Amino acid sequence: MSFLTPFYLLGALALAIPIILHLLHDRPKNKQEFGSLMFLDKTKPPVDRKRRPSHLLLLLLRCLALLLLAFVFARPFVTVDDPADAAQRDRQWITVLLDRSASMQRGDLWEQAKAKVQATLDQLGPGDRFSLIAFDDSTEPLAEVKSWLGSRSEAEVNVPLERLAKPGFGGSNLGQALVLAGESIEGDEPVADELGADEQPLARREIIVISDLQKGSRLGDVQGYEWPTGIKVTLEQIGEDDQGNAGIEQVASRVPWATAEAAPSFRISNSANGIGDELEFLAHTATGETLSQTVHVPPGRSRVVELPGEWARKSVDRLAIRGDVAEFDNQFHFAQNRQQTVHIVYIGQDKPNDAEGSLFYLASAFQQSTTLDFQVEAVSGKSSGPLPEADLYVIGDTVDDPLAQALGQAIEDGATALMVVQSPGQAANLGQWLGVDGVVIRDIASRDYALLESLKLDHPVLAVFRDARFSDFTNLHFWKHRELQNLPDEGIDVLARFDSGPPAWLAARRGDGRLLVMTSGWTPADSQLALSTKFIPLLYSVLQPVLERKTQSRQFVVGSKVNVTRFNNGQAGGSVTVMPPGGGAEAVSVDTFFMPPAPGMYTAKGSGWSETFAVNLTAAESRTEPIVMDQFKKLGLPLTDSVASPGEITTVAATAEKTEAHRREYWQWALAAVLLFVTLETVLAARGSRPAEPVMIT
Amino acid sequence: MEISSLSLRARAVVEGFMSGLHRSPRTGFSTEFTEYRQYSPGDDVRFLDWKVMARTDREFIKKFEDETNLRCTFMVDFSKSMEFGGDDAGVKKSDYGRTFAASLAWFLTQQRDAVGLATFDRDLREFIPPRYRQDQLKTILGRLETQPAGNATDLCQALEKLASLVGKRGMIVLVSDFLSPLDEMERCLSLFTAAGHDVRAVQVLHPREVDFSFEDAAIFEDMESGRNLILDPGTAREAYQQKYNAHNAALDAIFSAQGIPGFRVTTTEPLERVLQRFLEERPARAVVRQRRSNARNAA
Repeated sequence: MSFLTPFYLLGALALAIPIILHLLHDRPKNKQEFGSLMFLDKTKPPVDRKRRPSHLLLLLLRCLALLLLAFVFARPFVTVDDPADAAQRDRQWITVLLDRSASMQRGDLWEQAKAKVQATLDQLGPGDRFSLIAFDDSTEPLAEVKSWLGSRSEAEVNVPLERLAKPGFGGSNLGQALVLAGESIEGDEPVADELGADEQPLARREIIVISDLQKGSRLGDVQGYEWPTGIKVTLEQIGEDDQGNAGIEQVASRVPWATAEAAPSFRISNSANGIGDELEFLAHTATGETLSQTVHVPPGRSRVVELPGEWARKSVDRLAIRGDVAEFDNQFHFAQNRQQTVHIVYIGQDKPNDAEGSLFYLASAFQQSTTLDFQVEAVSGKSSGPLPEADLYVIGDTVDDPLAQALGQAIEDGATALMVVQSPGQAANLGQWLGVDGVVIRDIASRDYALLESLKLDHPVLAVFRDARFSDFTNLHFWKHRELQNLPDEGIDVLARFDSGPPAWLAARRGDGRLLVMTSGWTPADSQLALSTKFIPLLYSVLQPVLERKTQSRQFVVGSKVNVTRFNNGQAGGSVTVMPPGGGAEAVSVDTFFMPPAPGMYTAKGSGWSETFAVNLTAAESRTEPIVMDQFKKLGLPLTDSVASPGEITTVAATAEKTEAHRREYWQWALAAVLLFVTLETVLAARGSRPAEPVMIT
Repeated sequence: MEISSLSLRARAVVEGFMSGLHRSPRTGFSTEFTEYRQYSPGDDVRFLDWKVMARTDREFIKKFEDETNLRCTFMVDFSKSMEFGGDDAGVKKSDYGRTFAASLAWFLTQQRDAVGLATFDRDLREFIPPRYRQDQLKTILGRLETQPAGNATDLCQALEKLASLVGKRGMIVLVSDFLSPLDEMERCLSLFTAAGHDVRAVQVLHPREVDFSFEDAAIFEDMESGRNLILDPGTAREAYQQKYNAHNAALDAIFSAQGIPGFRVTTTEPLERVLQRFLEERPARAVVRQRRSNARNAA
């Protein structure tokens, strides 16, 4: 039994009134004056035995009347389930999004999540539609039942659910899963005509998210998504009592031109609801040795720790933190980067030690580091030998024909060449490589220095200067520059111009390769470029596509794509076999991309080479504190408790009417009982009242 | 107590009483010669014994033991507790007590004695000094006609004040229910007994105060303080009577110690009989003297 207005039940407190009145009634009414009370003590009021039974009955009647009155006002009702109506009930479409990201490995969250799925299944009725979608970084439909048939359908859903014995190691892209579920409901909505004769339309469409709703979940996809009307999202949060978590991730490596290569750094973060601030930072070496140090990270803060030099020397392959509640993200697999060789060929007459020449500055700019080994080779433009293979060709002088042709071919085949125009004689080379005739190089005679303007900062080569802090080129003075004439109108990007008008830096795509042209050199005789802060970033930026193609980071996260062709200095050569961690696992043969399913140290093997790479959990998974619910509202998620649309209001009203019809109210009967009791009370009270007895005096 | 007028009531009582008094050997009060004293300048020449002076040529003053007739002061309790009774509970204590005082005053006036009146509740309210005059009885009866209104009884304080007002020795008749604490009572009464007054106490009680014969439970209200008490008389009676008896025993002990004749009367007792008992009582001083001589012999 339920009550429509249960607050009226408080009226039952009025029961105290008749009880108090009856107690008062037991006090003697007659007053007796007496000379002095000095010899009298208080005694217990006498019990009038003759009147007690009738009083009790009156009291009972009055109490019952009041109780029933409160009951009447509270409007009791019983909802009766009509079996005929149950058959005609509205069908619903429930889509369950089950989070299987790494953070669900905490405690018994996975068991809780599965129990919630089971509870949802129990609520389904015949004819309902049900979809079960698991999500982490990606979404995977696990089960789809178009028309629910009780236990048979339940078994159908339980098979894939049982197969998911444990959550995965992926990140959590809740936004993508929500949008996908929303789109699938919208796109698959049956048209009224397609419905069977006795098939009801799907009146209710609901997406139930069963997740820990951790802060590391990505929700970006939801932003701007226009939710179809009639869909409701229910967030079934588990693990609200998160006790904090600490995570470890590698700090992104520094810019590639940093000459003094620092030791790898790791960011250890402690969530705001963390219980302590003392964590242990451990390193396991390949030899089985364990090194440790204590790190203090207050809750809500993070701290960057550099790998101590002595640890780095001991070839650490696994790092860990200890001291937080959740263990799932405490391991960090670490593969130290292997040095990659980059070949640079300078074509010109310069001596390597000549501070007036271009080669000197070029060789100085590309310094060897732990990850990159630069091999700078100087070749004379007049050389008749074969063109050495290189990742970058820098042309600082006229190139004679056999070499020039080879170079042109190398550019067409994918090489990158940087041509520094220093003399009008280079015009032939430029015309040859650009594929046009009549290119003329003219020295600009000017007393004043030139400045750069119209810099195309959105071009990949200059993108490194896009930040306002680095985009000021006004301190860069050019003493000498040249003008290129008869250049083709198409196929050439002017990256920068001199303030007098002619292009300063140009980029042209030739076949698979690139040709970059500078109409003023970087030597002190030409400009201040070599001595400016722009020089090294500019050269690295030119080299960047080469580095990207050749070098391969050896740190990956679960679910990311590992391009196996980049291993072995970009010369993987054919099929690569990847050995998952844990010796017993089966090797996987990969052509291009490999998606590691779990964290650990993987080994990629090709013909004659083998490289190890590390795979870790996404750092965002360590942020296990729950998302603030307001964020979902801000994203416009149609949560179950949010304001309903006009269409929904109509549905709700219809449901309410139906409920009204099924409601059996009993207040009329209670009111009749009240009247009966009041009548009885009146009769009894009238019979019981008699004139006060005179005081007997003898 | 069917007669409403106090003077008529007193007269009826005394006449009934007088009719029985003829057989009494008591002859009343008279003046008595005690001694001669030599005249000294300043003495009233009216009291010179002229015959002795004529005979011996010396001036002597003639002295008497009682220079006047009996001086009787009635001290009547006018507190509200005396109002108990009346209506269905019989005669009010105050009516009874006032009638007693009025009757005795009538009688004494008939004997040509000086009569005075003092009324009290928590303090001395009014004092009419004892005199023998034509209108004295009328004044006293008029005062006695007024209704008691005092909210408390403090006999002791009233006695202390009266002791300062009553100069000459005489008779003090206390009419009260004596239903008040007795802590200071003995000391205050001794103010009179020590001064040689003939103190007599009449304790007027209602029969219900004696036996607490109420039946129904009721809210009992103290007539003086207005304090309420819900009581079942059946339960309270025994304790009441114990305390009541103890109080009266203590009162009797005080009277006995001070040589005061105490008369405990209930409002149902005929007044003439009470009056007769009162007048038949031996003078109090004789008792005191007797007690003192006994004490001397014992020493």
